[in-house]
Amino acid sequence: MNAPAVTTLASGGFFAEVSQESQGNLSACLQCKKCTSGCPVAGWADIKPHALVRLAQLGLKDELLGSRMIWECTSCQTCFTRCPQQVDIASLNDALRRMSRRASQVNSKTTVPAFNDIFLRTVRKRGRMFEAGLMASFKLRTMQLFSDMGKLPMMLWKGKMPLWSGKVKGRKEREELFRRASDRNGGSS
Amino acid sequence: MEGTAHDYQSSTLAISQTLGLQMPEVPGWTCCGSTAAHQSDPLLALALPAKNLLAAAGTTVAVGCAACYNRLKTANHHITRDSETRKQVAAVLGADYDGKTQVLHLLEILARDVGMTKIAAQVKHPLRGLKVVPYYGCLLARPPEVTKFDDPENPTLMDKVLQAAGATVVTWPHKTECCGAGYSITDASVVRRLTREILVMAKAVGADCIATACPLCQLNLDLRQKDTEKEAGEHFGLPVFYFTQLLGLAFGIPRKKLGLRSLVVSPSKLLADRGIPA
Repeated sequence: MNAPAVTTLASGGFFAEVSQESQGNLSACLQCKKCTSGCPVAGWADIKPHALVRLAQLGLKDELLGSRMIWECTSCQTCFTRCPQQVDIASLNDALRRMSRRASQVNSKTTVPAFNDIFLRTVRKRGRMFEAGLMASFKLRTMQLFSDMGKLPMMLWKGKMPLWSGKVKGRKEREELFRRASDRNGGSS
Repeated sequence: MEGTAHDYQSSTLAISQTLGLQMPEVPGWTCCGSTAAHQSDPLLALALPAKNLLAAAGTTVAVGCAACYNRLKTANHHITRDSETRKQVAAVLGADYDGKTQVLHLLEILARDVGMTKIAAQVKHPLRGLKVVPYYGCLLARPPEVTKFDDPENPTLMDKVLQAAGATVVTWPHKTECCGAGYSITDASVVRRLTREILVMAKAVGADCIATACPLCQLNLDLRQKDTEKEAGEHFGLPVFYFTQLLGLAFGIPRKKLGLRSLVVSPSKLLADRGIPA
């Protein structure tokens, strides 16, 4: 961690890659830690927001792509909003998530990527959210079959979990839209 | 909003009718892709909202959900600022979208366009004595250069609307703290930790209830409140309304139309104690 920042920044490699992917203005960070003091999940994060930026500058790819923090960030945008240097840590996290998946380095403790896939598949096929179907698929995929099952009767009783939902027309167009987006990203989505 | 937030939908439509606002649905609207899209594919995360905004071209899109609002505004922000992004989105969409369909949250429409005088004129049962903390959540006001909603640290649009309804708005520091959002499904312990902070603070400043402006904020604070209480060993018992429900009560709209039955932490005793007919 004592490597001189200037040398590392100039050396390109991972830093250049993550800067490009995030468009996050990462070299402007002055380590004031305002991001970390406002971050709702920093208290238990394995890498705190200001350290994410520093590790990116130092090119410590494996630490970043395998971290839990990149999947625990709630995308609340507090870090970016308060940053005096306009470093976009929320975008940095999105970029690290994508790079982590591409490099197959996703932290084994997170179920967020599985959720994202099921969520987007629902949008592609149905056009809108179908909460009951989403929950069922997610639970099967992650084998958390009984977590939160206690919530189901309450949600049914309160009318908050319809067991049937209509689909929006235009599935073919949506499938094409998703395919074109995926093609433009080199098939990564 | 037809599913988990049907109460937000029905109360929004009811107060809109009272105020003479037209709220037709965007034809064939689809999901904005939410966090799942921006974590996975930045271009898809712009194209999905752009598809809806293109379908609504020439009108103003009124949004109830803070996350949808943020994604729609983000699409407009990037598409209008960068011609290359506009081109890429057009290629995915199969049509050019100029980024100019106006997007407003219901709070902006009520506080700025309708205005306090018109709102106050419809109040039949002022919410006198009801101590409310307005909870805006993360994504309405952040990042400010994208949403241009209000002051990012201390927004006041909901405060004004609730005051016009006669409620006592209590000052508190947690207006824009995060509720844990989608972790409700992937890791509810995150939501319990974060909502505990919000509930503790609401209680500490002496609030009777919380007003929300987003379906997921409401769900996390209300449906999960019992679990949060159990884990924290504390009792909160704080009803969590949509601000549209509180406004509807002040307008004298029947509670059935406002979906009050769908609140998990029942507001019945509180409303009776404060003499608010519901």
